[in-house]
Amino acid sequence: MSTTPQVTVGEMLRRNGVSRRAFIKFCTASASAMALPAWMGAAMAEQLRHAPRPSVVYLSFQECTGCFESFTRSFAPTIENLMFDVISLDYDDTLMAASGSAAEAALATAMKDNYGKYVLIVDGSIPTGAGGACCTAGGRSADMTLRAAAEGAAVILAVGTCASFGGIPFANPNPTNAWPVSGIVAGKPIINVSGCPPIPEVITGTLLQYVTTGKLPDLDENLRPKAYFGNTIHDRCYRRPFYDAGKFAKSFDDEGARSGWCLYELGCKGPTTYNACATMKWNDGTSFPIESGHGCLGCSEPDFWDKGSFYAAQSSADWNSAGETSPREVLELAGGTAAAGAVLGVGAAGMGRLRQHHSEKE
Amino acid sequence: MDLLGFARGPALEVSVGIFCAGVVWRIAAFALLKIRREQSRPRQSVLRYVSEGLLATASRSWPHPEFTKRTGAGEALGYSYHMGLFVVILLYGPHIALLGSLVGFTWPGLPSPLITGLAVVTLTLFCGVLFRRLTSPVMRMLSNFDDYFTWFITMLVLVTGLAASAHLGARYETLLAIHILSVDGLLVWFPFGKLMHAFYIMPSRAINGAILARKGAPS
Amino acid sequence: MSRLSDIPVRVEGLPQSAPQSGTSSTTPAGLGGGLAAILSELATLLGRLAASEETAMIDLRSLPMSPADRILLQRALGDGEVHATLKAQGLSTARETGVAGVWWIEHRDAHDELCAELLEVARFPQILASAPDEIQDAAVALQARNSAAA
Repeated sequence: MSTTPQVTVGEMLRRNGVSRRAFIKFCTASASAMALPAWMGAAMAEQLRHAPRPSVVYLSFQECTGCFESFTRSFAPTIENLMFDVISLDYDDTLMAASGSAAEAALATAMKDNYGKYVLIVDGSIPTGAGGACCTAGGRSADMTLRAAAEGAAVILAVGTCASFGGIPFANPNPTNAWPVSGIVAGKPIINVSGCPPIPEVITGTLLQYVTTGKLPDLDENLRPKAYFGNTIHDRCYRRPFYDAGKFAKSFDDEGARSGWCLYELGCKGPTTYNACATMKWNDGTSFPIESGHGCLGCSEPDFWDKGSFYAAQSSADWNSAGETSPREVLELAGGTAAAGAVLGVGAAGMGRLRQHHSEKE
Repeated sequence: MDLLGFARGPALEVSVGIFCAGVVWRIAAFALLKIRREQSRPRQSVLRYVSEGLLATASRSWPHPEFTKRTGAGEALGYSYHMGLFVVILLYGPHIALLGSLVGFTWPGLPSPLITGLAVVTLTLFCGVLFRRLTSPVMRMLSNFDDYFTWFITMLVLVTGLAASAHLGARYETLLAIHILSVDGLLVWFPFGKLMHAFYIMPSRAINGAILARKGAPS
Repeated sequence: MSRLSDIPVRVEGLPQSAPQSGTSSTTPAGLGGGLAAILSELATLLGRLAASEETAMIDLRSLPMSPADRILLQRALGDGEVHATLKAQGLSTARETGVAGVWWIEHRDAHDELCAELLEVARFPQILASAPDEIQDAAVALQARNSAAA
């Protein structure tokens, strides 16, 4: 990985034997995939060629590496395209060859040389429990590392639901006292690219868009790019005609499920989940959970682990946020409150009888 | 916790609790009252007048011929929107999912577009009912806060339900939360207003019918 | 992997003949407003190209076109005289349509998957021209080779 990204992108292309035409083609395809106007492909290519390769630092904290795995499986642009042609990935735990103090030195140098200009990508949540001991590397806690890295960053991309909203570690009872990036860093522009994991092309598309335009994309109130998170899964789901016609699958692999009916009753969270799964899909447009027969988990939304069972319909009761409300719980509640009501009723009847007695006496 | 989580979580739990407690309270409060001893001689055997009392629940379900001209239309309107409400509540997929989660079993429903159409018809009839209540001088004189508020809260459930199923007016999670909260409101109000007629109507007709039948004048 | 778009689509009930090269296209009754809209847009862009040499591009993948609309569009535009192939990290083709100034460009990646498809309104597609800086480098390199051989 180069730590001197003053070399322009065009120069890197020449060194790697990527022709100008191949690069224009790559930018055109990326612009098309990001639903940008067609002329922007050529404009992006021109702009990037003369620009110094932007420095990117990728920090991973309390995470499962799923987001990074997703990142490396992007088809357009591919990670190779990005790394070799466009960006200078100056630090990344998983990909870099260096380790130990050499790696720490690389990080420090990258941050110093590009102070105020580098793109900081973060995945994983940041635990503050036990004084930050739950996630440490090189003797420094995740909290310390993030704060130091954020100081010189031009923008922070919080990749994945853990970095965006806290994700799995944040779920009840949050034993490590985990926080999302926005809970630790203030005063820096943050883009949340949520999902568990996010769609590969959404991650690379957002990064490429920032790198080529230098500006933040339109963000929703959860700081997610509206280009990808502006619509719900339900809005774009191909099974929507079945929802509208009231054809719901009742159990997995029943007749309705095999006919591709709506999965609302099997707990699909599509109507309340904002993501691009229904249009961009996964594995270069192969499929997405609903198409494969399983309801949406709502993984790009805050607190999705604590919003009740994944298999109970959104209209159903959710009294303890830990699973489906069982008829037994209902019976217990009804019984208990009915008993209380009976006591009140006996009291009221007693008073009524007293009144009856008095009126009869007259 | 977001609004939807609150609506279908603690709010629903508390509302169902208040509903159960309130309904049992109010039923007990009248069921345990002393039945005033009839001083007159019974004109029929106990078996006869009790069974005729039970029949009165049916015979009093439609006005006597002398009154149908005056009140028939109003009765028909009432029955129509009640049936509309029952079908929409009990035979719509997402409602069956909710009720099924509470009682432990489900049943087949009707196609959603049909339910939507019925809900719109019910909404229209419901507005008609209010119109009648406001324009008829007798009805206006008899009506109180209870009547209007009960109408309002039932209407709110209907309107928010249609908005949620049509995804109209706000984000879906907000619409669904508002709809469930309005149902919670209805459940809390139920035991304390005119909605208790759901539980009183049959016993009331049966008891009155039995008393009259005992006197030799079955209705 | 096979996709929905791999299944060949046959459109029935269409006019059989396609316009000849060099003639302007007449607008056939499309199966949706999509076709008429694109042709109208192209007419506008061609006007601008003729007046001020202003080039433009239409990304075909961004438009809501059914497979039938696409076939109708191909027939409406017809075939021109030039067919260029470009081999740069995958095969790309630039085909002049029967409408002068409108080029149909398909980009395929190294796995032969279609990654972009556009209509370019220009005298010739920008991507085909050799770049000034590459020409400069080539001149220098060739000069060096000549003097080394001499």
